[in-house]
Amino acid sequence: MTNLSMLKPGDRALISNIGTKGALRRRLMDMGVLVGEEIRVEKVAPLGDPIDIKIKSYHLSLRKTEAEEIGVEVVQ
Amino acid sequence: MKSVVQLKDEVVAPADGYRDATVDSGARRVITVAVAGNPNAGKSTLINAIAGSRLHVGNWPGVTVEKKEASFEHQGTRIRLVDLPGTYSLSPYTQEEIIARDYLVQERPDLILNVVDSTNLERNLYLTVQILELGIPVVMALNMSDEAQEKGYRLDVKGIEEMLGVVAVPTAATRKSGLDQLLEAVVATAAAPKLRRPKKLNYGYDIETAAELLARELALESAPLLERFPERWLVLKIMERDEHVLRQVNFGDEALLERALHHLRSEHGDDVESLMAEARYGLASGLTREVLRKPELKKTELTEKIDRVVLNRFLGIPIFLGAMWLMFKLTFDLSKPFGDWINDMTGGPFKHWASILLGAIGAPDWTVSLATEGVISGVGFVLVFVPVIFLMMFFITFLEGSGYMARAAFVMDRAMHAIGLHGKSFIPMLLGFGCNVPGIYATRTLENPRDKALTALLIPLMSCGARLPVYVVFTGAFFPRSSGTVIWSLYVMGIALAIVMGLIFKKTLFRGEAPMFIMELPPYRMPSLHSLCVHTWEKGKHFLIKAGTYIFAVSVLVWFLLNLPWGVENRKDSYLGQAGQVMAPALAPLGFGTWQAASSLITGVIAKEIVVGTMGEIYAPKKEEAKQEFKPFGEEVKEVAVSFGKACRESVSNVVSTFGITSLDTQEKEERSALKGMVLKTFTPLTAYAFMAFVLLYMPCMVVAFAMRQEFNGWKWFGVAFAYQTVLAWGMACLIYQGGTLLGLGG
Repeated sequence: MTNLSMLKPGDRALISNIGTKGALRRRLMDMGVLVGEEIRVEKVAPLGDPIDIKIKSYHLSLRKTEAEEIGVEVVQ
Repeated sequence: MKSVVQLKDEVVAPADGYRDATVDSGARRVITVAVAGNPNAGKSTLINAIAGSRLHVGNWPGVTVEKKEASFEHQGTRIRLVDLPGTYSLSPYTQEEIIARDYLVQERPDLILNVVDSTNLERNLYLTVQILELGIPVVMALNMSDEAQEKGYRLDVKGIEEMLGVVAVPTAATRKSGLDQLLEAVVATAAAPKLRRPKKLNYGYDIETAAELLARELALESAPLLERFPERWLVLKIMERDEHVLRQVNFGDEALLERALHHLRSEHGDDVESLMAEARYGLASGLTREVLRKPELKKTELTEKIDRVVLNRFLGIPIFLGAMWLMFKLTFDLSKPFGDWINDMTGGPFKHWASILLGAIGAPDWTVSLATEGVISGVGFVLVFVPVIFLMMFFITFLEGSGYMARAAFVMDRAMHAIGLHGKSFIPMLLGFGCNVPGIYATRTLENPRDKALTALLIPLMSCGARLPVYVVFTGAFFPRSSGTVIWSLYVMGIALAIVMGLIFKKTLFRGEAPMFIMELPPYRMPSLHSLCVHTWEKGKHFLIKAGTYIFAVSVLVWFLLNLPWGVENRKDSYLGQAGQVMAPALAPLGFGTWQAASSLITGVIAKEIVVGTMGEIYAPKKEEAKQEFKPFGEEVKEVAVSFGKACRESVSNVVSTFGITSLDTQEKEERSALKGMVLKTFTPLTAYAFMAFVLLYMPCMVVAFAMRQEFNGWKWFGVAFAYQTVLAWGMACLIYQGGTLLGLGG
């Protein structure tokens, strides 16, 4: 299974699980990062981290260490 | 089930001393309205548009989060607006969220004004769903309705009202449209709260069954709790195992909770908190689908077009650096002529007038000196900071309001994160090179207290403009050929030490989980000029009142130090000179253990450029007070106006001219040459370099100290800065001097 940090800009995916607990998990969910949600990776920052994803029709940025906790299934 | 409205009446009367204070003497009812909403939903702009200059800005008790309040009359009803921090949720994990929920639960506002971004309805409604759990009447401002319209969105306002049990009003705060209707809705809703009860939303069969069960058990076993808290909210929070609430209500009945949650857990697993988040988002999504029609043909949005360039792999960083250069230049070059003007005026005509006035009423000499050198200089010293702080706040607010601040953080985060900082730390640190004070104030853009404190601790290592005059005198005397390189090396030393200290702090004081970087990249928007100005004015006023008074007091104190015991002829015998003599031995290992150096370093605490001024006075006292040529009063008044006009012109031409920082060239003044001669006699190139390093690193000036106290609500972080910088300055200067001597550079 892949995680969000491995996707390239333009990739679309469905969130399959959120591996983290506590504050980080809650924060992700509060921002709409929920299992089953569709996301698209929009951009990677010029220095390679963080990334910019589109979710629930808005833009969200997160660091790769945080994206690693989000399991995804790529949508072709 | 107990009605929420009844519950409220019981609660408000005894517990709410806070509100009593604002009931006006006419004994008319005051409606307390809490304004809640997502960050970037235009909440600030809306409040500024409604309340404008009536806004009062302070802090929430005990924390550094800003609290805005306004009280005003609308059609005969007194409204008190309390702005809650912008939040995405009411979870118990961030300071802002805890403040918002505690206020809503404990202070029980009459009404919640929920500001919603109509162009981003679903995520905004997620907060709304949580707000409705409180059972307090809600008026919803469907803000940015102009933008939604441009995008071709069609919103069913009636539908929203019916489904949520709220009153919804489309608004466009930047254009001030819909605000009257909004206030009318607020007044009407507050007048008849029972008619406007928020709907109890259905979180799904399993959650609702468990909630009912728990509510029933609570009513039997912990009835007093239900009197103190809104029932539905309390039940849901307990189910979520919301730590903050469990602690507040002192709930420890695990068996009870276990019974209530048994079925829910066996069906959906243990993570009830996530289940709730999903249920709430489910409602927000469903509602959005019902009430919002988006056009079928979607054009590429402006924000995405801009981001293609601004966040581009190759262009992103150059654009960012360009924007920063521009902001730095505008902030400092625009403000400098005005700062200089204030300086010249308080130093010239105003002092002159005061001394004439005091002379005329026969005041003794020392009061004239106190008034001119102490009081007027002190006031001038505070005022000099006003232009730069106003301008900096203006630009920072613009960057935030336009949406670029989030992009700046996105672009820089990787680099800043390496030393334990946040992408948003970059701008405050950059401003620090101009002046540390606006840098400290700019840390308010960092939400996380840890990031904020760490950034503020490192800002004093950014070599500010006030240290430059010291470098200029010393490099001019000792390194005339390579003064540029030597000054540059000091800037680099500051940055390098900031990196080292950042790493050290990250491993020590700020050990533990690094805060997360989960940040919205909001759409680009043009902030309204009105809102920008209100915000800037608030910040500037804050500085003047809060920091200004202290800075002024310290300036006067230093005057006493310099001039007491009364009648001292020799500076060596003044209290300052005596303090310098006491301190000098401690500086001996650094190569400049003289009372003169020590005394000037002490006065440098006011502002580092004063080191040069004090040295000038100590080493090269003016032989005779040169008889100043005073012009007639009328001409002096004219001069004040003329030079202000000149400052305006200079400010503009500074921006137009392509030169960098203009201050370098103007520092070289002839009067300094006498000082240079004396400095050459008492320092060597090596001790001069050690001295400059010490000036760079030792404790930040008092304005920074008061700014830190103000931003962090106490002296703690300034204390840390003071301690580590003293050690660092002494250590580096010692290393330079002793190391240099060993290498034979001492001659």
